[in-house]
Amino acid sequence: MKVKIWQWSGVASWSWVANDDNCGICRMPFNGCCPDCKVPGDDCPLVWGQCSHCFHMHCILKWLNSQQVQQQCPMCRQEWKFKE
Amino acid sequence: MEVLPGNESCTMSLKPRVVDFDETWNKLLTTIKAVVMLDYVERATWNDRFSDIYALCVAYPEPLGERLYTETKVFLENHVRQLYKKVLESEEKVLVMYHRYWEEYSKGADYMDCLYRYLNTQFIKKNKLTEADLQYGYGGVDMNEPLMEIGELALDMWKKLMIEPLQAVLIRMLLNEIKNDRCGENPNQKVIHGVINSFVHVEQYKKKFPLKFYQEIFEGPFLLKTGEYYKQEASNLLQESNCSQYMEKVRYGETNIRQTFIIIPHRIQHIKTISSSHTQSSKTAFSHFICLCLYHSISISLSLSLSLSLSQALTSVVNFREPKSICKAPELLAKYCDNLLKKSAKGMTENEVEDKLTSFITVFKYIDDKDIFQKFYARMLAKRLIHGLSLSMDSEEAMINKLKQACGYEFTSKLHRMYTDMSVSADLNNKFNNFIKTQETVVDLGISFQIYVLQAGAWPLTHVPSSTFAIPQELEKSVQMFELFYNQHFSGRKLTWLHYLCTGEVKMNYLSKPYVAMVTTYQMAVLLAFNNSQTVTYKELQDGTQMNEKELQKTIKSLMDVKMLNHDSQKEEIEAESTFSLNMSFTSKRTKFKITTSMQKDTPQEIEQTRSAVDEDRKMYLQAAIVRIMKARKVLRHNALIQEVINQSKARFNPSISMIKKCIEVLIDKQYIERSQTSADEYSYVA
Repeated sequence: MKVKIWQWSGVASWSWVANDDNCGICRMPFNGCCPDCKVPGDDCPLVWGQCSHCFHMHCILKWLNSQQVQQQCPMCRQEWKFKE
Repeated sequence: MEVLPGNESCTMSLKPRVVDFDETWNKLLTTIKAVVMLDYVERATWNDRFSDIYALCVAYPEPLGERLYTETKVFLENHVRQLYKKVLESEEKVLVMYHRYWEEYSKGADYMDCLYRYLNTQFIKKNKLTEADLQYGYGGVDMNEPLMEIGELALDMWKKLMIEPLQAVLIRMLLNEIKNDRCGENPNQKVIHGVINSFVHVEQYKKKFPLKFYQEIFEGPFLLKTGEYYKQEASNLLQESNCSQYMEKVRYGETNIRQTFIIIPHRIQHIKTISSSHTQSSKTAFSHFICLCLYHSISISLSLSLSLSLSQALTSVVNFREPKSICKAPELLAKYCDNLLKKSAKGMTENEVEDKLTSFITVFKYIDDKDIFQKFYARMLAKRLIHGLSLSMDSEEAMINKLKQACGYEFTSKLHRMYTDMSVSADLNNKFNNFIKTQETVVDLGISFQIYVLQAGAWPLTHVPSSTFAIPQELEKSVQMFELFYNQHFSGRKLTWLHYLCTGEVKMNYLSKPYVAMVTTYQMAVLLAFNNSQTVTYKELQDGTQMNEKELQKTIKSLMDVKMLNHDSQKEEIEAESTFSLNMSFTSKRTKFKITTSMQKDTPQEIEQTRSAVDEDRKMYLQAAIVRIMKARKVLRHNALIQEVINQSKARFNPSISMIKKCIEVLIDKQYIERSQTSADEYSYVA
């Protein structure tokens, strides 16, 4: 080998991949943050339900806490369960 | 010489009585002569004369106050005339003599004022013209010769009979001395200070425009000369010396002005005039930092009120810009920080850098366009972090915290996220290494691998690469493994590789010495192509790397520039049929070196991009501010709205009125606000 790689530092950026651009609850972009947060990223994560709908974690928790009887996904009305 | 007027009452009566004026005046004259020349006066004599003045003022049958005043005036007149003659005779030493007599006379005049206190408070105050009299005229008293308190009278005599006749000579000599001072000769600072001070001091009793006299006779000509001098100096220096020499000389010059100016601190703002002539004539990056040194040397010794006027002056200096051009200061300041925080920083210790950055913040506070600075700073920080150029991570963090203190949390939140991404990445690298070790089958990446994972929104990077790119086979395994690892750890996240930012080191085994080159991934891909054959065609490179023409040509050129690659046809231009081969006799002074590309330098496009990004951000910021204000106020007049918006955005930048107007238009279009139906220049909030 005439030329051998000694060392490599890769650079990559990460962003959320969801099936939609905006959070169905707050209508803010997923790669932004929920209205209660100031900065997007690790501090304002996304969560998926088993119904495959995705929301800002803060948004869906607020929604679930406001539900008296049954906890349902605000999009499809199925029972809300966090996806593993 | 303490004066206690009450003491005499036990030895003599306070009742008005007949007084022989001439006899009393003669006694008094001897004493005031001594007083005004600062000779020794016995306490008892002083007290006696004090009561003599009292006796004259309340004399019977006619009070003699007016006559006393006239006689005293004549005495002072003669005295000053005598001094004037003496000063005039001294020829070259005019300044020194003037200064000596002035010191004596001004002190003497103060004491006389004390001695004549009764006359001052009773006779003169009563007969003095009030403001209203001065304004509307008052019959009876001669308007041209209003009565003055003795201290004021003495100073007035000095002004009329000493300064005014001597004015031309004095000013000429003063300016001369100051010029000598600038040329590095050592003049008598004390005398210069004293003389200039006397111009202010003679008007100390005036209530209105106490500095007018000083300004008229001295400051005007002085500033004119100073301006001339520094213009001349600046252009000379610019021709003769390089930047840093220029800096040093300018600094020295400024220190001198400071000394002269400091005597009359009210006038400090005029440094502005001078400094802006610097900025005009130099246009160099560093002229802005003059103010920094200047500010620091001054601020120590100045009071608060002064630093206020100084800060106004500095604001205008720092934000100075040529008409019709953009203010360069924010960009230059960001660059200044970049140079300090970079590894190459001329062997400065962390503490030295720290000190410089602290003083930098002082100047930074005067910048209007803080948002522009932030954009440039963020870009430079990104480059430092990704390319590992930072002097130390501690310094970086300290700087971010300093900016946070100066401008608030929001200003630095992105910078902070960039900084934390670095430590998060270090953590990820560790986890990834463990992950590889714990795989069932042993994984050998074949290379030493590390990665930075950046949060997309926080970094001022373009996420659309300038070219497509197929990573070299040798790297594929690392990329695959890391993606596997990342997806196992984080769900719902997508990694985008920013190849144009990746760098690496390659070892070249075909040369006389085992050189190691630090290269970009693009360069790496081109070099690796030569492992399989002696010569490689342009077409093969294109197919192998999948890079577009522009990037590929740039990469090949960079390798040819350092003579690692040979262009087989020896031609300048790279064509589709070109073939390349490795330079087998490549040598370098160092065994480890870096192949620079234009990539790491700031391109004009990048700067342009940064500026337009700032403009976009400003529009959003202004729109948000307008909506916020209107939401709170519901209805607001146009001018009041503009004012509020300016106030709210002042901490970040100075918005232009036209930009605010445009934003209002946009918001009307978007139906956030509407023009009020009742009034033409009113807006109301649409809920």
